[in-house]
Amino acid sequence: MGKKKSRRGSGEGALSITSMMDMMTIILVFLLKSYQTEDVSVAPSEDLQIPISSAQKSPKLAVNVVVSRKDIVVDGAWVLDLDRSISSETGAEEIVVPDEEKRGQLISKLYDLMLEKAETAKDLGARTGSEDFEFKGEVLLQVDKRMPFSVVREVMFTAGQAQFGNFRFVVIKGGG
Amino acid sequence: MPKGKRNSDAEELDLVPIMNLVTILIPFLLMASSFVTLAAIDSTLPAIGPPTEATETDDEEEKLNLSIAVTDEGFTVMGGDGTLRSEGADGEKGATLPCKRPGCPTPDSYDTAGLTELLSDIKDRWKDEENVILVPESQVSYEALIYTMDAAREDPDQKETDENGSSRNRLLFPNVVIAGGAQ
Repeated sequence: MGKKKSRRGSGEGALSITSMMDMMTIILVFLLKSYQTEDVSVAPSEDLQIPISSAQKSPKLAVNVVVSRKDIVVDGAWVLDLDRSISSETGAEEIVVPDEEKRGQLISKLYDLMLEKAETAKDLGARTGSEDFEFKGEVLLQVDKRMPFSVVREVMFTAGQAQFGNFRFVVIKGGG
Repeated sequence: MPKGKRNSDAEELDLVPIMNLVTILIPFLLMASSFVTLAAIDSTLPAIGPPTEATETDDEEEKLNLSIAVTDEGFTVMGGDGTLRSEGADGEKGATLPCKRPGCPTPDSYDTAGLTELLSDIKDRWKDEENVILVPESQVSYEALIYTMDAAREDPDQKETDENGSSRNRLLFPNVVIAGGAQ
């Protein structure tokens, strides 16, 4: 039985897979080269187009605030939807934070959530006593490139009020 | 003729298990590999609070306090207390950089190359200064803001050697602070 089985492969109709192997090896090497694990991941979509920049610094893990044209998401959790309104000056459609969600420049829901995150991070830092877990007020901002600065300013202001003062704007590496 | 026979006589290597392995590895790596690399631009909030006595700098050398206003007319580069105007080689002309197209309809229309050139001249005079304050208008798009930061960070036309001895683009003003901006 065993003898029969071992012979099967070397039969006359055997497929030559050497060229296939060559191809696979090349693909494997290429993929291994482009394989990298990053702390930060971006899920680009129609509503979230990250701008391209010549910056070289790689992003480090921090509280992740995503501001797309539709909504604001913090660490994967939905916070609030954004509105579209017609600008009185230019007549063009622009993205705004709904008035009922704001107290002055402060975005209430975002503030509450970020304050909670700051408290948790501080608590963790105090408990471990390690420098790695120390609260540094860092926040990663992934913002759609068409977003007007007024929305970015309100998000930054809110984060600043919730003790997050160090911003990292996430961009796609490219260009000179 | 004997040449053709040689292959069929020799014992062929069984590559099937390796093929299986590779076929499994490829989809896995395809999933995990990222073809877009990300970067980050650091920025801080302007310090808010009452001015403290300790920061009185009457006797110290003049501070630059470089700021760039981004408006729908283009860039306006300002230095604290008119420092730029008094020392600038091209005086008043250097202060404002209009957009390539009126009204700055797209982020590309900002004159970033001109800004880099101007900031490079300023850097020649204030070699130790690394801070720049951005003052964008409300309707300026985030992309235009990133382009401005890129233009202010480094000058690709000039090279310098870093501490490790390797060549890199000349750094201009890498520390960006974003101010509240004009309403």
